[in-house]
Amino acid sequence: MKINRTAEVTWHIIFFAAVILLIFPIVYALGMSFKPLEDAYNNVLNIVPFQSTLENYITLFDTLPVLRITLNTFVIATVATIFKVVTAFLAAYAFVYFDFRGKNILYFVLISTIFIPFTVTMIPNYLIVSEMGLLDTVWGVILPQLADAVGIFLIRQSMKNIPLSLIEVARLDNTGHWKIMKDIVLPLVRPAVTSIGIWFFISTWNEFVWPVLIMKTTDNYTLPLALQMFISVEGGTNFTVAMAVSVVTMIVPLALYLTFQKYIIGTFTSSGIK
Amino acid sequence: MKRYLQALSILALIIFLAACNSEGSASTGNGEKTVIEYWHVNAETQGGKTVTQLVEDFNQQSDTVEVVAKYNPDMYKGLMQNLQAEAAAGNSPAVVQVGWSFLNYFSDNFHYVSPQTVIDEHFPDDKTFLQDKFLPNVMDLAKNGDGEQVGIPYSLSSPVLYINRDLLREAGLDENGPKTWEEVKEFSEVIKEKTGKYGFYMQEPADNWATQALLESNGARFITDGKATFASDEGIEAYQLLRDMVVEDETALHIGWDQGIQSFIDGSVAMAYTTIAQRSNIQSNAQFDAAAVRSPGWEGKDVRLPAGGAMLSITAEEEDQQKAAWEFMRYLYSVESMAEWTKGTGYVPPRNDVAEAENGLKTFLEENEMMSAAIEQMDGVVPWASFPGDSGLEAEQLLLDLRDQILGGSISVEEGLKSTEEEINELLQ
Amino acid sequence: MSTLILVREKLHINKENALGYILLIPSIVIFAVFTFWPLFYTVYLSFFDWNMISPSKEFVGLRNYFDVLTDPRTYQILGNTFLYIVLLLVINCVVPYIFAFVIDVVLTRLKGFYKSAMFLPAFISLVVGSILFTWILNPVSGPLAIIFGWVGLEIPNWTKTEGWIIVVLSIITSWKVFGYNFILLYASINGISREIIENARMDNIPLWRIFLQIILPMSSATGIYVFIITIVQSLQYVFTPVKVVSQGGPDYASSNLIYHAYHEAFVVFRTGHSATISIITMALFLLLLFLEFKFVERRIYYEN
Repeated sequence: MKINRTAEVTWHIIFFAAVILLIFPIVYALGMSFKPLEDAYNNVLNIVPFQSTLENYITLFDTLPVLRITLNTFVIATVATIFKVVTAFLAAYAFVYFDFRGKNILYFVLISTIFIPFTVTMIPNYLIVSEMGLLDTVWGVILPQLADAVGIFLIRQSMKNIPLSLIEVARLDNTGHWKIMKDIVLPLVRPAVTSIGIWFFISTWNEFVWPVLIMKTTDNYTLPLALQMFISVEGGTNFTVAMAVSVVTMIVPLALYLTFQKYIIGTFTSSGIK
Repeated sequence: MKRYLQALSILALIIFLAACNSEGSASTGNGEKTVIEYWHVNAETQGGKTVTQLVEDFNQQSDTVEVVAKYNPDMYKGLMQNLQAEAAAGNSPAVVQVGWSFLNYFSDNFHYVSPQTVIDEHFPDDKTFLQDKFLPNVMDLAKNGDGEQVGIPYSLSSPVLYINRDLLREAGLDENGPKTWEEVKEFSEVIKEKTGKYGFYMQEPADNWATQALLESNGARFITDGKATFASDEGIEAYQLLRDMVVEDETALHIGWDQGIQSFIDGSVAMAYTTIAQRSNIQSNAQFDAAAVRSPGWEGKDVRLPAGGAMLSITAEEEDQQKAAWEFMRYLYSVESMAEWTKGTGYVPPRNDVAEAENGLKTFLEENEMMSAAIEQMDGVVPWASFPGDSGLEAEQLLLDLRDQILGGSISVEEGLKSTEEEINELLQ
Repeated sequence: MSTLILVREKLHINKENALGYILLIPSIVIFAVFTFWPLFYTVYLSFFDWNMISPSKEFVGLRNYFDVLTDPRTYQILGNTFLYIVLLLVINCVVPYIFAFVIDVVLTRLKGFYKSAMFLPAFISLVVGSILFTWILNPVSGPLAIIFGWVGLEIPNWTKTEGWIIVVLSIITSWKVFGYNFILLYASINGISREIIENARMDNIPLWRIFLQIILPMSSATGIYVFIITIVQSLQYVFTPVKVVSQGGPDYASSNLIYHAYHEAFVVFRTGHSATISIITMALFLLLLFLEFKFVERRIYYEN
């Protein structure tokens, strides 16, 4: 196969430009987190700190129980992700492999929830969580986030790509649904499950509007709430500490991603569907 | 099978951790101490540390009361949002900070009990505490439209003019800064011409605090007898000056608050009109000769500066909670705590005796000259205009929209002020 | 063939299908409690004039709907909403589609690097992104303004300029979601049989035709997902930068329907108006979703 050299070089230039645009803010944030605030204000162009300092991180760790907060965030993100993926998988399976009355309407109704503004659910959910005595607990934050229609949508799309004959043959052998799910369907939709799982994890990890409402004591904070403590319009945002919080917030998902990168990328590129 | 066992045990561990977490928080209510919640808005850059310190100290010395402090992001608006959810759920914290612009909205919609009522009922010794320690005009700041004492002033701020003396000198101007708004305009022109930098920035948060100072110092009034009256000749003249600096002369910046302060600190703008609460941010990060001077007035007129900040209000419903609330407040209003509060936040102490007291702020004020501008101008402080009635916040919003329109150049000052005044008065009916 | 029909019929047996309902129970219960109940409550609230806490809740019939639908601002905000959607569809759906195609099919080197690098910002929250961009793009003092200044250019005063503000807030949102959408599309394109693509290239079919006629239809199951999720992102995710950076300003020029519903409910505390805006928003997007189901879903390529 012949490759057009100039075309390939042009594309590389475009992608490099895109990568720089996407990465620059992260590098900038990282640099700023090691700068004294005064330096950050007065030398905006020096990304690499001349007089690098750990004072922002020290301030952060002095002010808040960071490990505890990280653990809270981790628990919330993990539990919510697991539940969302499992409920979505089951629902998608039902929508693809069963025919029952009102199926299409039900699907439409469930999917429509992705367009509901969060202003609709915020106060009523707060009342429910409060009624259950779960204010200021991780369960209070987790509870309304146990299902997500986006997951149903994506996993269903992926399941519809599995040749129906595979399932039919299995059914002819009287294989149970549980076994079909586990041994046939799950391996084949793994790319979708993985990518939606990553998405759920990252978005719950970074969420702040809802936890702000539920959590009261700093011991129960999540990392995005910790960030809020260094942002103030009236007293001025402590930009460099805020960036330190951001870096800390980024570390866990990034570490998880890097650890499982091989597996994740492998999942994506070797999907059974060919 | 092994893989599933692994996955299962990890899941079990996580659920276990989550359970631990929720128990950890529930156990704060141990012993016989009455646990009360104190809601504040103080981020770490704005006295958050001091709040933590004061609450800790209080809890240590009190045998009966345990205070849990809850930080509310997004200032008084954010606090009001969370309080709304809490009230809808039928709960309430014991002590809350209420921003001045929410004074009427808060007192119209939330349950609160006047501090004096709690004192009269349970603390005969403190009967004259409020009378003795606070100036009447300061206490008046916390009275709503019906004259009820909703809370006690706690965080008091006023707008000051921060100046970059190096830039003023470079432009050959008086390094002590302008005294009047007319001078602010002239200074800005000279600065732009001589140094190429912007002359002036006036804070643009989601409220009309600074605008009120500008207009009312010229003799306009935001509210008279419950009606909007800012579109007077004086009001128009004052707004026109700001608009001309932004739109015609292009000597003043029209950007967001964070960005405006960033530009002042890095020396791109010579003067910034903003709250004294920014003092420590500016003082510790500016690398030029920075100073704060008193809020400019208008030629031959007295300044009128709306008080910024918040009051403390008691929202506790139960009797023991209310008692605990006052015990905590009494602690916060002691000379020592007030002094710590001012040091940590830059707010002006609402009590009349803190500034001079030896155990108060005497040495601090000597060391932090910027504060003196705010303290000296306290006699010119007036209540923050808070539109009455259900539509008060909407009225406030209309004025904000107007600011974007005027400074964006899409409407003339006179037309804008007049039509907005009309609109607001229709709403308030 | 007859056995297949037999199986299909078997799949229709009632006892079998009961299991379908059972599998849906977890989702339905959670949605019923935490989504649909609040939704019905919101519909109810849209007929009242209330601020959520005041003891007096006045029934006003359809007046909220009348108010909202006759308010010119509603249409300005509706326009903004669609502008966000169009911008984000281009930046986060069309561009990553093309990128994914080129990186997978055309390039021979650096594929792994591009994949990882472009995905990186997905880890960062939009709050951080908003603070960061506000700082970096400060029109007077930010690094970009200074660099532009060297060559005599000025950055527009984007926070206070109609039009620009939407563009910048869209860029902030895109910065975060671009990589995720890209990875999804990449995975989908990567799953397409190489043979078909190689054959097409042997036949000297130009790349753009390979893209339009082979890649696009064959990855349409993921494509439609990314399309819908991009609309959701441009509706829901934009909220955070709007709240942090501009609070909907200047003069509503950056507000979208979701932010406006928030603004009405939690800034000026008009619960009834907010509920009405939420209901109208939902109705509007349900209509779009319905059209998608009716006309697009059928044409999506599934392997079976």
